[in-house]
Amino acid sequence: MSCHGQKLTQVSLIELSHLTKDYGLFRAINDLTLQIGGGITGLLGPNGAGKSTLIKVLLGLVRCTSGTGRVLGHDIFTECDEIRTRVGYMPEDDCYLHGLSGVDNVQMAAQLSRFPATEALRRSHEILDFCGMGQERYRNVESYSTGMRQKLRFAIAIVHDPELLILDEPTSGLDPDERESMLNRIQVLSRQMNKAIIICTHILPDVQVVCDHVVILAAGQVTLCEDLEVLRRSPDPSFTVTVQGNAEFLTESLKKTGVRTVRISDYSLRVYGEDVEISSLVWQAAADTSTPVRSIVPSRTSLEEVFLKAVQDTSHADS
Amino acid sequence: MPIHSLGYREWSGQLSTARSRWTVIADIGIRRAWKSMWLRRIVFFAWIPGVMMAMLIYLFEQAASEGQASVFMADGIVQLFLGRPEHEAIRDTLAADHTALPKIVKYRHEFWCSLLQILQRSQAIMLIPVVGITAPPLISQDVRSRAFLLYFSRPISRTQYISGKAATVACYILSISLLPGMLLYCTGVLLSPEISIVLATWDIPIRILGATGAMVVPFTCLGLMLSSLTTETRFASFAWFAIWIFGLFAVLVTSPFVDSGMQTPLEMLSLFHVITNVQAWLLNVRPNTDIDILIPVAVLCVVTLVSLTIVYKRVSAPMNA
Repeated sequence: MSCHGQKLTQVSLIELSHLTKDYGLFRAINDLTLQIGGGITGLLGPNGAGKSTLIKVLLGLVRCTSGTGRVLGHDIFTECDEIRTRVGYMPEDDCYLHGLSGVDNVQMAAQLSRFPATEALRRSHEILDFCGMGQERYRNVESYSTGMRQKLRFAIAIVHDPELLILDEPTSGLDPDERESMLNRIQVLSRQMNKAIIICTHILPDVQVVCDHVVILAAGQVTLCEDLEVLRRSPDPSFTVTVQGNAEFLTESLKKTGVRTVRISDYSLRVYGEDVEISSLVWQAAADTSTPVRSIVPSRTSLEEVFLKAVQDTSHADS
Repeated sequence: MPIHSLGYREWSGQLSTARSRWTVIADIGIRRAWKSMWLRRIVFFAWIPGVMMAMLIYLFEQAASEGQASVFMADGIVQLFLGRPEHEAIRDTLAADHTALPKIVKYRHEFWCSLLQILQRSQAIMLIPVVGITAPPLISQDVRSRAFLLYFSRPISRTQYISGKAATVACYILSISLLPGMLLYCTGVLLSPEISIVLATWDIPIRILGATGAMVVPFTCLGLMLSSLTTETRFASFAWFAIWIFGLFAVLVTSPFVDSGMQTPLEMLSLFHVITNVQAWLLNVRPNTDIDILIPVAVLCVVTLVSLTIVYKRVSAPMNA
């Protein structure tokens, strides 16, 4: 299965062609062809879909069995150092250096990316400020809460000012406030600093909030690669009408005019049809039945539905 | 949020050289290890033999320059530190003529080498707990805490990673073996009556370097290998101490049953004996034949190569998991 990113953005930052990775007899990535451009891309997929392997391949941490690929214009086989210099990676796992404070961890990460020692320390403090870490940065990382470790990993990923950020489950384990802050930071990096970001997550509401594009992996293959806005557009256009009081009379009135109408609850209904004709019909029927209308909004397909459909299609094809 | 927070800013400074990256890993390793109270204590005590040797060199030089006034000192030194079978000829000469004691100056080279060999032997004992504390957590803890990803998602190669870790162990080994040895030599030169002593003893610093190298390389490689084999630091520590204790125990148990002065096959199982044999040969205080020394050198080479191979394989393993 291939997915051509040109329809997403003009420039492809990641170009993978017929990539295959085998772990012994198990095929983690199966003839994957993918192009990802700028903005925020959500990388979704069920467990074992090959997301983590794909990330390792992008960073040159594991060598592919076959295929070719380029990240930011560098070959994933021969130019790993250049890729890792320009890419920031936030792993899902708890990974930090024991026995060091938060700021020491970030400073060391900056120095490993060839920042001079003093500049690495200055930059670490700046990034920890950005990540909302206060005086706790001087504490040993062993004493950090899950949320603090998550922020520390994020700080480590961005300290060297990467052009492409790969975030593996950036909001897992965060409380609602922290989750919102993390998503805000991601959006700031993308919208204001023009960083390309790939978010690998199972939390679909996060993807709906921040992502521009979605790539769904299943069984080591790309099953879907599309703009989020396009995905959420329903294939059968409809509107959700919410009313004050009972929606029964309005539903009946609309049915009489020949419009396909489904009552969703006591005070809401779904009306199928194109924008221009439907809104005038709804307003007319509402006036006829004296039903106050609170809102008329286009119906959207939830990402969850899209995800389940994409994954199910693959499993059916496999079986 | 801090009042001085500037938000996220792009960075466009001058990067340092790529070659310096292993020093970052070494720096972190050294700082983390130094937090151990036990390590600080051992390093402190490991310098005591060096100080004692410096005092002996001082006494030796006093005896050599002050004649009869310090005969008793020279006599004590000869009995204590030139008391091994290979020094029999020197002892006989001095015993026959006590007035010749000040002439012990002509045995300076041999005396210094003997002192250095004793120092290296005592340091080898001290290094067992030093490496036992520093090496086991170096790789095992990185695997357990998944810090591997933190390192290898940066432009770091396996060789740079292993070099950084090895430098951590080597730094502590050198600080209590090479440094005291070199300082001892410098002390001897400074205490001696004339600077021409440097010409007579020019080979000693090279011998010290060689003897230290014979200790640093296998100690470091073996320590890292054990660390890479497990995610539990305590298992690596246990294995490290077990290797030395088992070897020493094997030699102690079998020594009454073999003729003195002969190498036994079991002696090759004790890395401590192997290393000290090679060091003695390098410091020219043991009249080994080439055949005698070939086996210990071969053992050290095999230990080093096998350890390095395993470390390289193990360091890449977590990436492929």
